[in-house]
Amino acid sequence: MHIPDGFLSPTICALTYVISIGFLVWSWRKARATYSRALTPLLAVSSAFIFAAQMINFPIAYGTSGHLVGGTFLSILLGPYAAILSMTIVLLMQALFFADGGLFTFGANVFNMAIIGGLSFFLIKFLTSDLKREKWLFPAVFAVSWLSVVLGALACGLEIGFSPVFSEAGGIAVTVPAMLFWHVLIGLGEAAITTTLVSQLQRLQPNVLNGLKILKGKPSEGIL
Amino acid sequence: MKGYFKALILILLCLAVLIPFASEFPDGLEKVAETLGVKENEPSWTGLMPDYKLPIIGTPYISTLAAGVFGVFLVFCITFMLGMILDKSKGKKT
Repeated sequence: MHIPDGFLSPTICALTYVISIGFLVWSWRKARATYSRALTPLLAVSSAFIFAAQMINFPIAYGTSGHLVGGTFLSILLGPYAAILSMTIVLLMQALFFADGGLFTFGANVFNMAIIGGLSFFLIKFLTSDLKREKWLFPAVFAVSWLSVVLGALACGLEIGFSPVFSEAGGIAVTVPAMLFWHVLIGLGEAAITTTLVSQLQRLQPNVLNGLKILKGKPSEGIL
Repeated sequence: MKGYFKALILILLCLAVLIPFASEFPDGLEKVAETLGVKENEPSWTGLMPDYKLPIIGTPYISTLAAGVFGVFLVFCITFMLGMILDKSKGKKT
């Protein structure tokens, strides 16, 4: 879902940069207000993991592939604000060193993957807020990580559809359904991987799930 | 801390094992662009390792693995610094 340079018009690039920078400033302030030093090694390892996981594309159907985005997963480990910052760094390194995602389109990529991914945390929180609904945790993780990819694809479809390169091909009426079609499927991969990772971590290393501690309202060393 | 280094080693091992199985198919967005006949221009900035390949290494597997190891350490270091900066500036108001 990394948009390369040349796909988006200057207006869309500028607009998405402004929106993303706004969210990043907000995340920065929120994250540092209550940051715990103990979170740093987990922040570094989980970000490195997401970088590695994004290199491994899995085939879905009809000669198309996808890979884990990992925004929802990071938010469960780090809380939403640090997750947004972490994912932004992964995307920045990909754009700077690996030509994966453009520099002018960086704002759009941050919005589609880092911000939507990080904010998806609040939906899990909403779905599982009631203690009686704690058993909904894994279904909620599955559904929300799927949705985070689909919403990212929707945003991406709108961004490219409103840009001249794609408006000749039919604009948003074509790009949005096409992006959604593939990412409804890719999202299932995201959901399966995220749910597996979270359930295994809960079994083996529950202490790293800082986001879950926030969800369940237990005192935590995490943020929030 | 020790556990986190173990996790880092585990990540690199998984990467080494999984790289040969990674799909070469276009991803969702590339597929959409392909279907609509939109061509990706030669980027103005290609980075040091375009497509996760270290250009000086000929063998594709080793080349991608080297780029992956580099990227994993790079992201690890930068986010570790992010954590330290967040910790240092904790509670400050601006």
